Amino acid sequence: MNTDLVIKNLHVNVEDKEILKGVNLTVKPSSIHAIMGPNGSGKSTLAYTLMGHPGYTVTSGEVWYSGQNILELAADERSKLGLFLAFQYPVAIPGVTVANFLRTAINSHRAQEGKSPKETAVPVAQFRKELREKMAALEIDDSFVRRYLNEGFSGGEKKRIEILQMSMLKPSMAVMDETDSGLDIDALKIVAHGVNALFTQNPDMGVLVITHYQRLLNYITPHFVSVMLDGRIVRDGGPELSVELEERGYDFIREEVGNASS
Amino acid sequence: MPVANPHNTFAPLAELTDEQIVLAARAAGEPDWLIERRIAAWRHFATGVPPIWKRTDLTTFKAEGIVAPAAAQNTAIQWDASLAEQGVIFTTLAAALRSHPDLVKQYLGSAIDPLTHMFTALHAALWQDGVFLYVPKNVAVELPLHAIFTLAAESHAIFPHNLVIVERGANVTFIEEYSSPNINGQALAVPATEIFVGDGAAVRFATTQTWGQGVYHIAAQRVRVGRDGSAELIAANLGGKLQHAEIEVTLEGNGAHVDWVAVTFANDSQSLLTAPLVRHIGTNTESHMNFKTVVDETGYSTFDGMVKIERSAQGTNSRLEEHALHLSPKARSDSIPGLQIDANDVKAGHASTSGQIDEEQLFYMLSRGIKRDEAIHMIVTGFFEPVVERIPLEELRTRLSEAIESKI
Repeated sequence: MNTDLVIKNLHVNVEDKEILKGVNLTVKPSSIHAIMGPNGSGKSTLAYTLMGHPGYTVTSGEVWYSGQNILELAADERSKLGLFLAFQYPVAIPGVTVANFLRTAINSHRAQEGKSPKETAVPVAQFRKELREKMAALEIDDSFVRRYLNEGFSGGEKKRIEILQMSMLKPSMAVMDETDSGLDIDALKIVAHGVNALFTQNPDMGVLVITHYQRLLNYITPHFVSVMLDGRIVRDGGPELSVELEERGYDFIREEVGNASS
Repeated sequence: MPVANPHNTFAPLAELTDEQIVLAARAAGEPDWLIERRIAAWRHFATGVPPIWKRTDLTTFKAEGIVAPAAAQNTAIQWDASLAEQGVIFTTLAAALRSHPDLVKQYLGSAIDPLTHMFTALHAALWQDGVFLYVPKNVAVELPLHAIFTLAAESHAIFPHNLVIVERGANVTFIEEYSSPNINGQALAVPATEIFVGDGAAVRFATTQTWGQGVYHIAAQRVRVGRDGSAELIAANLGGKLQHAEIEVTLEGNGAHVDWVAVTFANDSQSLLTAPLVRHIGTNTESHMNFKTVVDETGYSTFDGMVKIERSAQGTNSRLEEHALHLSPKARSDSIPGLQIDANDVKAGHASTSGQIDEEQLFYMLSRGIKRDEAIHMIVTGFFEPVVERIPLEELRTRLSEAIESKI
C-alpha cells in the first residue's frame, strides 16, 4: 500500500544560502504531479533534498513517506523505501558497466537482514532478460550493457539510461529532475513513453516531474501541477495550469503572488 | 619444472663468500663467463654502499639474515608444450644455459647493467630462478606463456631472471606473476627481466605482484623494441611491504611503439614505488602510458616517471597519464613526472589527477540503493578495471580482482 509523500514547511540551505523557504507539498500515489518553475526557483534543490544529497542542509521541516520522516535516512535507505531520483546531470562511473551497476542496485534492494546475498540475488538469466526487454523498449542499443555507466554517453543516452534504471528498480515514488533538458523531440518522446509505460504497469506509483517547460507535459500528462517560485510552492492546480504557464510565462504568477503579499 | 632440494641454499648474506658462489656454480656446470660475471657482481655488492633512494626507505630492511637459494627452485612454468614444434623455447633460464648457451650468453645482462646498484649486483651474483623464452621469426603464439614465482618463508629470497627474445615478425604474450602468502618477518625478491622485441614483432608483457606481507620487492625490467615493433606492458603492483621497480622501455627502431598501463594499490603500511622510463630513439616512435594508483590507510605510493625523447627521435608521439585516488587522509602518493625533449618535431602530452572519491559519484550510487561501503568498492574496482581487464589470462584477472577487493 503506497502512501503520500508529504513535504512540510521544508527549509533548505546550500552553502549557507537559503534556497527552499518553506515548501509544503503532497504527492499522492497513483498520480503524476508536475512542479514547474523558472530557473533558480529551487526545483532541483527540492529533488536533491528529497533524495538526501549531503550538500543540501535541511534547517527545518519534515518529509514523510511510508510512515517515516525520510530526512533521517541516508540516500540508500530512501531508495530502498521506494524513492527514486532521475538525475538532471547523471554522473559517470568509470569501470562499472551498466549491467553490473544495475544488478548491484537491484540486489541491494532485494537484500534482507539475516539472509545471504546469494539467497536474495536476482537470478542472472531473469535479470538479463528483463534488462534486454527494457532496453529495447527505450531504444537503447544492446552494446550499452557492457559500457561503463554514463562514460562518454550523450545527454540523450544518459537520460534514457536514467529511465532504464527507473523501470528496472520500479520505485513507488519517482522524482524526475528536468529529465527533458537536453533532449531532442524524438528522445523526449521515447523517454516520455518509457515513463508512461512504467506508470501503466505500476499504477500505484507516484511521479514527481520537475520541469521548466511545458514541453515534456505534452507527452506525460500530469494529474496535478504546482508552481514553485523563490523557494516556495505558490500555486496548485490541474493540468490546465501548465498550459496557462506556457501561454503567459511565469511573470503573471510572480505578479499575482507579489500583489497577494503586498 | 626442476624442483631442487628446498634446503639447497647459500649461507646467509652476511656469511656468504665468493668461494661459495663459485663452488655452487661449478657444481651446476655453469660456463666460466657466467661464473666470472657472478663474482664481479658479488664483489660489487659486497664492497658497495646501499643506494640512496629518496622515496624507497630500506632502513628497516635487514639484508644480513637473508638466505638465497643455491639452485632454481621457485619457478613454475605454464605453457602448451606443443609450441616447441614451432621452435618456441620456454624453459627455466638455468636449463637454457645448458640447452642454448650461445643465445643466453648473447642476451643475458645486455639490457640491464648488473652494476646499476647494489641490488642489481646482488641479483647478477645470485640469480637461479627465472625463465628463458625464445620465439623464432614470424611465429605467432596465441596462448599466454606464464611464469609464477613464489617465496616460502621468512628470510628467504628469490632472484629470478627472465630473458625473453622475440625475433622479427613474431608475437607472444608473456606473464610473470609474483605471489606468496603473508610472511612473518622479512623476505626479499629481486627479479630482473630483459625483453628483446625484434623488428615488426609484438610482445604483450604482464607483471603482477601480489606478494604477501613482509616481502621487499626490488625489481628491474628492460624492454627494447626494434623497428615497427610493439610492446604492451600491463602491471599490477599490489602486494609486499615495499616495492622499488625501475622499468625502462627503449624504442630503438623507427616506428616502435609502447602502450603501458599499470595499477598500484598501497594500503596498510606499504610503500610501493614504480619508476618507469621511456626512451624514444627511433623516428616516429610512439608511447602511451596510463598509471593508476589507489592509496589507503597509511599506504605510500610513488610514480617517478620519465619520458626521454632523444635528438634522433623526430616525429615522436608521447602521452602520459597518471591518476591517483586517496581513500584515507593519512595515505600519500607522490607523482614526479619528467619529460626531457632533445628533438624538435615532437608531440608530448601529460595529464594528471589526484583526489578523493567523488562525492557526486557516491551520492548517485547511494540513490540507487547501493550501500556506501559497496559503492566505494565499486568505484575503486571500477577505477582499476580498464587495466585489470587487459590482463591476458582469466584466472589471473580473477586472482587480481580478489586481491584488490581484499584491500579495499
